[in-house]
Amino acid sequence: MQDPKTYRYSFIFLLAALVVALSVNICLGSVSIPFTETLRSIFGETLENTAWEYIIWNYRIPKAFTAVLVGAGLSLSGLLMQTLFRNPLAGPFVLGISSGASLGAAFLIMGSATLTSLFGFSFITDVSLAIVSSIGSFLVLLAVITVASKVKDTMALLIIGLMFGSISAAIVSVLSYFSNAEKLQQFVYWSFGSVGNLSWHQLGLLFIIVFLGILLSIFSIKSLNAFLLGENYAKSLGVNLIRSRYQIIIATGLLAGAITAFAGPIAFVGLAVPHLTRQIFNTTEHRILVPAVLIYGAILMLICDTITQLPNSAEVFPINAITSILGAPVVIWLLVRKRKMVF
Amino acid sequence: MKNSILILVFCLFIACKTDKKNDSPLQSAPPTKIEINHAKGFSIETTNNGLTIIEVSSAWPGATTSFKYALAPKNKMASITLNKEEYDAIVATPIERLIVTSTTHIPSLDALGVTNKLVGFPKTSLISSENTRKLIDAGHIKELGNNETLNTEIAISLRPEVLVGFGINNQNKAYETIIRSNIPVVYNGDWTEESPLGKAEWVKFFAPFFGLETKADSIFKSIEKSYEQTKAIVKDVTKKPTVLTGGLYKDVWHVAGGKSWMAQFLQDAKTDYLWKETQETGGISQSLETVLATAQHADFWLNPSILTSYAEVEESNEHYTQFDAYKNKTIFSNTIAKGATGGLLYYELGPMRPDLVLKDLIHIFHPELLPDHQLFFFKPLE
Repeated sequence: MQDPKTYRYSFIFLLAALVVALSVNICLGSVSIPFTETLRSIFGETLENTAWEYIIWNYRIPKAFTAVLVGAGLSLSGLLMQTLFRNPLAGPFVLGISSGASLGAAFLIMGSATLTSLFGFSFITDVSLAIVSSIGSFLVLLAVITVASKVKDTMALLIIGLMFGSISAAIVSVLSYFSNAEKLQQFVYWSFGSVGNLSWHQLGLLFIIVFLGILLSIFSIKSLNAFLLGENYAKSLGVNLIRSRYQIIIATGLLAGAITAFAGPIAFVGLAVPHLTRQIFNTTEHRILVPAVLIYGAILMLICDTITQLPNSAEVFPINAITSILGAPVVIWLLVRKRKMVF
Repeated sequence: MKNSILILVFCLFIACKTDKKNDSPLQSAPPTKIEINHAKGFSIETTNNGLTIIEVSSAWPGATTSFKYALAPKNKMASITLNKEEYDAIVATPIERLIVTSTTHIPSLDALGVTNKLVGFPKTSLISSENTRKLIDAGHIKELGNNETLNTEIAISLRPEVLVGFGINNQNKAYETIIRSNIPVVYNGDWTEESPLGKAEWVKFFAPFFGLETKADSIFKSIEKSYEQTKAIVKDVTKKPTVLTGGLYKDVWHVAGGKSWMAQFLQDAKTDYLWKETQETGGISQSLETVLATAQHADFWLNPSILTSYAEVEESNEHYTQFDAYKNKTIFSNTIAKGATGGLLYYELGPMRPDLVLKDLIHIFHPELLPDHQLFFFKPLE
């Protein structure tokens, strides 16, 4: 077991990078706001330009914090899955959580005509979209947990998760096929992911759920370390296997479900960040890895969001494209160098 | 524990930001309805204290909720008291700066002579109106990305007094941020209107924002008169040509429904539209087999997807060559007439000028009745 103190400087460096990424993210955007004005506003001074002030406080800052929560939460759930399945290619969405959320969103957006005719009113609001995609995630998760109680083998569980994902994706395809252009467009835009336009209220809700997920993970650190050594070894260490497994799966569900609900299915972060983190922190000790992936994920997401916003231009790139462009090479590199991985 | 400091700062941010609300009691007055004869999606009432209430009942197809907007003159703002809870948006008029989001909104602004009040638009390249294009080129109208993922930062920084939005539901996160920044968002449902004159009447929706109700009324009356006169040209026609619409996308042929905007034009132009019995107001998905069986011998074929020449028609699908309209070169399309930056004229100006659309169609189907008309929206394939 390594001592977290060994990595003190790496943590200081990461935290400094986080502060820089956060500042850069808040200072840059489609509208060019002078750096000094941004700082004045952040330190509570009132700006003459009320539109700037509004943009900084009610668009950029919530967006930056959303990016932090999304990056941190997804990276952590990625780490949890990789450890639980002892598989370097596992990610938060391996269990079909993202497909479940997409299924919920697809039913709401593209099946809303059916829903309207069934219930006499249309459901689509920001809140209902969040609720339905969370329900979608949790239903898939519930199915996986049910199977998990029957299947003792973690690898089988991984495959079952993938199968649930495929089923959800297939239903989404069917819904898409019979959907009109406008609804399809809306669903596609949802699937691009976005960390902007959350109100402080929604952000508060997301924060609470992500915080719960992080707490659950912290309580699981001991069993996470044990899991890496194999299930039998974990048992001999006195880890309650079944309870720990549920705890980890629920933490992942909370993190990935809530984030997908509010920000759409964000790709790759969950898979790539734990590996990037292990490159810096050459360890398997979760007391180090958990805080490290949280900070690393937040930094990466802030950088991705800054890139999507293309300073001083109207166009906004879909954030999923950027995360994948950064994430995909990492995955490829992982597959190529699999033998040299820290895992 | 720098992490917890971050979290603490974040919680402080949340605690510091609270919404301000200022409610005041409503002063009631008996309203007068403005005359709307064709459009079904909105109504306008004025009260004797100068307030205009616009109610949009069809913001999107199948909308189950109505939106109520209050327009109060700036010079009377102090004397009018409104209950904020009762309205989805309150706008001080006349407005000097606005954002619109659909090209169908542009002709109304042009006709009312207020295009110079437009400060932002998503996907400006879609706009074809020459007048508006000049303002875009001069940098007066800013680009806002696209409507589904509107660039919130730029929209807010433009400080519009109102954003005229459209959507297939109220799921537009950017609009919500804009509403929170105290910029009123009003939904325009012109595109859900089904009758040709109904769509054109939405010019009256824009008028109260600028205090141009009389002007809008006379604009619409002249369009209405022109449409009725054009319709009268074909009143004695007995020989109705048969018509097919649309084209294949993959293996689904989208034809216009029997109650759609297009089908109503075809009826007014005295044609026998082969899907006139269907009840759909939008498109209908058909298989190639069904269309071939129904319309192989149709006299005319309109809007074969985005194809612009007979060579393209043959190239895109060999089955197309089996249709009489292909053999007889009687295919016309509304996707050929484009603006300077590639926007389709028909979808921008067509809703506002149904009289021109009808003249085009009569010239195509009954050339002897309008021989001198120059085709504007519909062009023959090359």
